Amino acid sequence: MSTTQTPPEAPAGPSVQRLARQRSLWERTNKATLVMAGVTLAVFVFFAAADSAFLTFANLSNLATQVGPVLIVGVAMTFVITAGQIDLSVGSIVAFVAAISAQLLVAGWDSSLVMVAALLMGLGWGLVNGWFTAYQGIPAFIVTLATLSVVRGLALFQTEGFSVPIASTTFVAKLGTARWLGFSATAWIALAVVVLGLVLLHATRFGQYVIGIGAAAESVRRAGVNVKLVTMAALGFSGLAAGLAGLLIAARLGSGSANSAQGFELTVIAAVVLGGTSLLGGRGTIVGTLIGALLTQIIANGLTLLSVSPYLTPIITGAVLVLVVWVNLRGRDLAWFVQRLTRRA
Amino acid sequence: MAPTGPGTALPGDLLVELSGITKSYGPVKSLRGVDLTLRRGEVLGLVGDNGAGKSTLMKVLAGAVQHDDGEIRVHGEPVRFSTPSDAQAEKIGIVYQDLALCDTLDVASNLFLGREPKRGAFIDRRAMHEQAARILADLHVKVTSTHQEIGTLSGGQRQTVAIARAVSFAPDVLILDEPTAALAVAEVESVLKLIGDVAAQGVGVILITHRLQDLFRVCDRITVMYEGQSVDDAAIADLDIEKLVGLITRTPQPTRTEGSRA
Repeated sequence: MSTTQTPPEAPAGPSVQRLARQRSLWERTNKATLVMAGVTLAVFVFFAAADSAFLTFANLSNLATQVGPVLIVGVAMTFVITAGQIDLSVGSIVAFVAAISAQLLVAGWDSSLVMVAALLMGLGWGLVNGWFTAYQGIPAFIVTLATLSVVRGLALFQTEGFSVPIASTTFVAKLGTARWLGFSATAWIALAVVVLGLVLLHATRFGQYVIGIGAAAESVRRAGVNVKLVTMAALGFSGLAAGLAGLLIAARLGSGSANSAQGFELTVIAAVVLGGTSLLGGRGTIVGTLIGALLTQIIANGLTLLSVSPYLTPIITGAVLVLVVWVNLRGRDLAWFVQRLTRRA
Repeated sequence: MAPTGPGTALPGDLLVELSGITKSYGPVKSLRGVDLTLRRGEVLGLVGDNGAGKSTLMKVLAGAVQHDDGEIRVHGEPVRFSTPSDAQAEKIGIVYQDLALCDTLDVASNLFLGREPKRGAFIDRRAMHEQAARILADLHVKVTSTHQEIGTLSGGQRQTVAIARAVSFAPDVLILDEPTAALAVAEVESVLKLIGDVAAQGVGVILITHRLQDLFRVCDRITVMYEGQSVDDAAIADLDIEKLVGLITRTPQPTRTEGSRA
């Protein structure tokens, strides 16, 4: 393909324009994400047809609230995975922040202080992960596996496993029930995080370096970039996002529990990978994560409406994950196959 | 190709002079006294068998390795490099064999990695791609678009992009470590042509290669290293491939060889 002979050099002017010309939208689109968008649409249409309650505004608004925390952490996780790292501790950080925030409210802290504290706690754990990973050279998989255990353990120890109620008069509790244009605060904040993630990944040097580090960290280091700092920032970002998600979950449920968000990290990672972000690093898509998060939650929501046994949900979600990743790996063959079909027609 | 022939160079044309460079790693003497000169617009071939010290010498010149003894002069001024950025400040660029590119970033992003043009807090992609296209067009680098991902390029295209990146820092000295190893024939041609173009802009190029035929295509002069020493320095016009092999392997040749050091 790349062995085609280019014609003798054209004069410099037009050649410069030709070289710098933006590629078509089709060429720029992540094909894995496109497949996912199709699958998500199909699943959406299926549930809309299967159950009349699915396509009601109340359910869609509820769906947006359910997607919120997965999406918030998923956007941050996209950076972590694109940088070639992983964060397994986000579920524990969500539970920790939810439980401790509730305790702080019970202890009489003002809501504004608790909200700041929640974000700082999340960021703090993220930076612990980041420091050990980037500056001590311990694989993120190991570091976050350890903090997964430690952070939830601390929350359990602190609350003795009891759920801590949040008084409905506090601002945090009001945040949990607040609606704007029919959608919850969680949904709107998640949307804002998606926009922020899009800008950060695709329009800033930070995003560029995150992608570069995932592809070839040594090359980025030789270009004079502080690779360790960028890596730590990515993990700090996912901790911060988990802190935000923990606060919003506690606010919505009206209580903080050290047992909440079990397996949350796997849901988030599944959403990110479903969207087309490469687990090997170097390739990330925020739009994909949005689609992946929607898909996992549409399946959960739709199956609940259909009164399918709740035990079936993880089975179906897992099967879809394998199927989609398989399609993505074989995507080139599939595209070739489609091309052949259309050519013959 | 060079504005002035190597023989007629003025003293002011001297870019780099290395004299008596030594470097030991513990008891192992990697470099045992190396002399080397490089003039503006000249392509100097640096040859020698594996372990002769070529790469170590170039790392010294690029600031990646610190030498023990001897003197480096750049533009006649004695300098000492403690980091690669010191060497970069003296306008010495190097392209290592592994190229230091990021496969999933596009051509323009790789050219500007670490110094992306910005507008406010954001990368000015439009300006980046335009400047990248200009750099590539100036050097006649054959890629179809600056938006192409590096991973989709051929080995030769990747090599030329890596060289273009080094050239875009406007170096006076450019060191290329095995740029034509493992390339297809047509790709070797485009890399060699690029080396000629770069030298024609007045850059002094040091070319390390095992492909002796390449040396005869682009070099003005050859410096031969043997067991950590520079043993010969000859104009390419005075050599043929058999003489050159003899110089590298230090086997006696029936014909006369000219040596600056015994």
